[in-house]
Amino acid sequence: MELQAVVMAAGGGSRMMDLTYSIPKPLLPIGNKPLIWYPLSLLERVGFEEVIVITTKEAQKEVQKLLLTETKLKPDIVCVQEDADMGTADALRHIQQKIKTDVLVVSCDLITDAALHEVVDLFRVHNATLSMLMSKAHEFTETVPGQKGKKKAGEQRDFVGVDDSGKRLLFMANEADLDEDLVIRKSIMRRHPRMHIKTGLVDAHLYCLKRSVIDFLAENKSISSIRGELVPCLVRKQFSKFSSLQKNKEEPNQNMKKKDNHIASADDDLLELALNRSCWNDHRGDMCGAYHGGKLRCYVHIMEEGMCYRVNTLAAYIEANRLASKLFEEPAIHPSAVISERSVVGSDSIIGTYCQIAEKASVKRSTIGASTTIKEKAKITNSIIMNGVTIEEGCNIQGSVICSHATICRGADIKYCLVGNSQRVEAEGDQRLP
Amino acid sequence: FTAVVAIKWLTDGEEEQPLQAVLVADSFNRRFFPISKDQPRALLPLANVAMIDYTLEFLTSTGVQETFVFCCWMSNKIKEHLLKSKWCRPTSPNVVRIITSDLYRSLGDVLRDVDAKALVRSDFILVYGDVVSNIDVTQALQEHRQRRKAEKNISVMTMIFKQSSPGHKSRCEEDDIIVAMDSKTKRVLHYQRTQGLKKLQFPMNIFHSVSDEFEIRYDLLDCHISICSPQVAELFTDNFDYQTRNDFVRGILVNEEILGNQIHLYVTMDGYGARVSNLLMYDAVSSDMVRRWIYPLTPEANFTDRKGQECTHSRHNVYRGAGVSLGHGSHMAENVLIGRDTSIGANCHISNSVIGSNCTIGDNVVLDRAYVWNGVHIASGAVIRQSVLCDGVKVKERVTLNRQCVLAYNVVVGPDISLPEGTVVSMHHPDEEDEEDEDEFLSDGADNSSNQAKTKLKAFSAAEVGAEGKGYIWRPVKQDDTEDDELVQCLWGETSSCITTGVYAVFQTEVLGTLQRGMEENISCDNLVLEINSLKYAYNITLKEVMQVLMRVVLEFPFQQQGPQLAAVQYCALLLRLLKKWAPVFRNYVKRAPDQMDCLESLEEFFLEHETHWGAMVKVLMELYQLDILEEELIMRWFSDGVTSAKSRQLRKNPGLLKFIQWLEEAEDESSEEDGQ
Repeated sequence: MELQAVVMAAGGGSRMMDLTYSIPKPLLPIGNKPLIWYPLSLLERVGFEEVIVITTKEAQKEVQKLLLTETKLKPDIVCVQEDADMGTADALRHIQQKIKTDVLVVSCDLITDAALHEVVDLFRVHNATLSMLMSKAHEFTETVPGQKGKKKAGEQRDFVGVDDSGKRLLFMANEADLDEDLVIRKSIMRRHPRMHIKTGLVDAHLYCLKRSVIDFLAENKSISSIRGELVPCLVRKQFSKFSSLQKNKEEPNQNMKKKDNHIASADDDLLELALNRSCWNDHRGDMCGAYHGGKLRCYVHIMEEGMCYRVNTLAAYIEANRLASKLFEEPAIHPSAVISERSVVGSDSIIGTYCQIAEKASVKRSTIGASTTIKEKAKITNSIIMNGVTIEEGCNIQGSVICSHATICRGADIKYCLVGNSQRVEAEGDQRLP
Repeated sequence: FTAVVAIKWLTDGEEEQPLQAVLVADSFNRRFFPISKDQPRALLPLANVAMIDYTLEFLTSTGVQETFVFCCWMSNKIKEHLLKSKWCRPTSPNVVRIITSDLYRSLGDVLRDVDAKALVRSDFILVYGDVVSNIDVTQALQEHRQRRKAEKNISVMTMIFKQSSPGHKSRCEEDDIIVAMDSKTKRVLHYQRTQGLKKLQFPMNIFHSVSDEFEIRYDLLDCHISICSPQVAELFTDNFDYQTRNDFVRGILVNEEILGNQIHLYVTMDGYGARVSNLLMYDAVSSDMVRRWIYPLTPEANFTDRKGQECTHSRHNVYRGAGVSLGHGSHMAENVLIGRDTSIGANCHISNSVIGSNCTIGDNVVLDRAYVWNGVHIASGAVIRQSVLCDGVKVKERVTLNRQCVLAYNVVVGPDISLPEGTVVSMHHPDEEDEEDEDEFLSDGADNSSNQAKTKLKAFSAAEVGAEGKGYIWRPVKQDDTEDDELVQCLWGETSSCITTGVYAVFQTEVLGTLQRGMEENISCDNLVLEINSLKYAYNITLKEVMQVLMRVVLEFPFQQQGPQLAAVQYCALLLRLLKKWAPVFRNYVKRAPDQMDCLESLEEFFLEHETHWGAMVKVLMELYQLDILEEELIMRWFSDGVTSAKSRQLRKNPGLLKFIQWLEEAEDESSEEDGQ
């Protein structure tokens, strides 16, 4: 087994509390599949047979059921306490004993059609310590319930520096962490004289990590998040070894060096020999050996096109629902759904199991969850309806998210709203942009 | 720190102007001392051709039709050289105009003169007289013009770079630069020399543009070729503190938000371009020349079309001029260029060297990376490695020159001596200049002892240059040392100046911001004064400067609000409203007569840059007079005394202004008459 897959599904979904207070984040329905199904099927598609899922007690049972029914993966579910405020790196440290080889870490909120082998190939070809997936950021076009106007683009940007090939990760920093200057050491520039700094990227939270990194985590207990701390730390360490070599051989320095060497993907002797004897080189322009002798290497695959979403905000959730149907081959309308012949159901809609759609109802560009009843003359456009919802006669629902077991009474007109779990919207309710 | 909107360039940009170039045939530094004591740097031979000829050939082949050569140090020699050259023949496609002055002290002075004399009509190429290049700038020029067409007058300069990775031998540590650029628009966001830096810092504000892709490039060699718009010369005029191109580039980049000017770059992959800025570069460029990296500029091409420069090219890059004689058993290994009528004795071994004309080289001589100029005598048994031997040098028997030695004009060394690495020998005494200075200041009865010491110093030291040697050792001009000296100079000169301009510019933006806010939020004038005062202390700005900045900001305010294309009439209307509104602020700062004079001066300065808005100036003066900010007496004094340049004289001939002055005079008369009654 080359890589062990780990799915991180213990996050609370703090950026979309409206949805996650009633449903655990991994189980949020997207195109009538729970969110976690997407990374799992991605792993299954590329041939993983086993998976370690880290999740909370709350979601454990559901996840287990899902793993058994929907996938052929052999699961190993690890529970962590939700309130323990555990970061992703903490979680990885928690399962240290289970990890025998290099790992592929995926967040449960990743929906992508990325060719996973690109990332893994970088990892293999360069014998990298870390390789990760990034994608061009998407602009969300749909109107988001509960948000007036466009969402502020004022979020802190990430600065990602890659070399001329666009693969080697040289620099990573968040705007918030940079003061007035962006500082880069000259020695890095000397080795990689043309650095591309990109800002419009999203991190897919998919990482290949060497086994040694897990040990490194075990030694450095202060690191709690993979994205926030571990990755920047590894990126920095790519170049730190050389400067410390020149310094005096002080004790702490040596300790550091040991650690660095430790996490470095120690090429075994044979590999090193092959590298020395080969005329292959990772760079041009100077006469230095491949990688300039560096043992710690970080790579990134940047998706130029294709789909890559992290469902961690309401906007992303809606966008993902709209695009999810492209990701699976199953028929958009479940055979068990009962749909009146005189209703209009657009081909861009997904209808779940045991749905009932009555006469003259119309469903366009929407996702309808399992066991939902839509009565006569109801009109649903651009909306997400979860499971067990009842929509009575003559309702008009547009651009909204209706959570499970809600009831929309006769004649209600709902535009760009988010209706919570088991809510009941009264008939006269004319809701617009709450 | 001033924006210039040169309307005239907008209108006649359409028609094709002949391409012009400004060639600065002076380095304004002493890097080639003591060699350049006898010969200006531009005339030093590189592969037996004067460096300025390469520059002119480059300009001509890239399509330049008119070149202004600016000379300062030893201008007569350069003039003489050019008049004899093919560039001054009537058939030359490139008309060379020589402009000499002893007053040029920097590139800034030259460009200010270009502006004052209105020499350039459209985009021109700015280049130093020691640039060797075969780059075809047509493409860059086209891009530059397109940019200027698309966004009028935004881009003022396109710098030309050659891609070459760090550690390439045509890059020297001293000239290394780091550039941050916008990947899509090729705009330069940050430009910095990196010598002595460990960490490279990029201010965050350069990344705030709309683009999401930037490049930080350390693989660029600055060719010191730039395509400039005429605005560049004007900007130099406006900013007297700009001395070098470096000052200019940094000034434009730092003040990008204020001036709205941008600099772009063009990177060539296959061209060759380098500036011979020191001897290491001289070595690198010479050897590239002999190795034919600068094709079609090769030694045997004889592009200067001079008699006696012809040579033949044979394999291993061995070039021989006419009448070269080679003794029995001598071997020219590779990359050797030998000039006319040079004779080489027996059993010599010569490699990677350039030898000038009329040299005599004895037997058993070893030359490697030696640059031997004209009329040099090297006696038998000499060993010379990576050294420069200027005209008329005599090297006696069995002399060894170790690496990086320089023998300046007419020096004699030897026999039987070994000069250590980095020795520089010149016929000029190192303290020569100091002595001359001293002589001026010393009284006639200066003590004899010092005179004796001087004569003692003047004697050649046999231990240093050999028994028959002639010349003085120049210790400070060891190559490594000069680099350090340069660095110290940079540290003292550049950083301090850029800090002050930076603070000044920041202060100006702050004042602008304050006023804008005042406008939007209707802040009372008293509070505005308070805010400006606190800014004054925060940035440590003198009261005089506060006044100048305030005046300028207010005058530019309508442009800031409405864009630079604002017509004179609307501008005037807007400005008068502002002046009325902020009159108390002005009254607070403009109290005494000198304040008023400063105020008038900055007013004039502003309007000199905005010729089209001269009509508004009278109205502004009138308004300020009526608001009791300016007194008539001082306006009169300014009008009669304040003439500083031809343009300001022209300004005073403006009919509106004359009318106003006349009116003032009459008013004065009336008031005095009233007094009389």
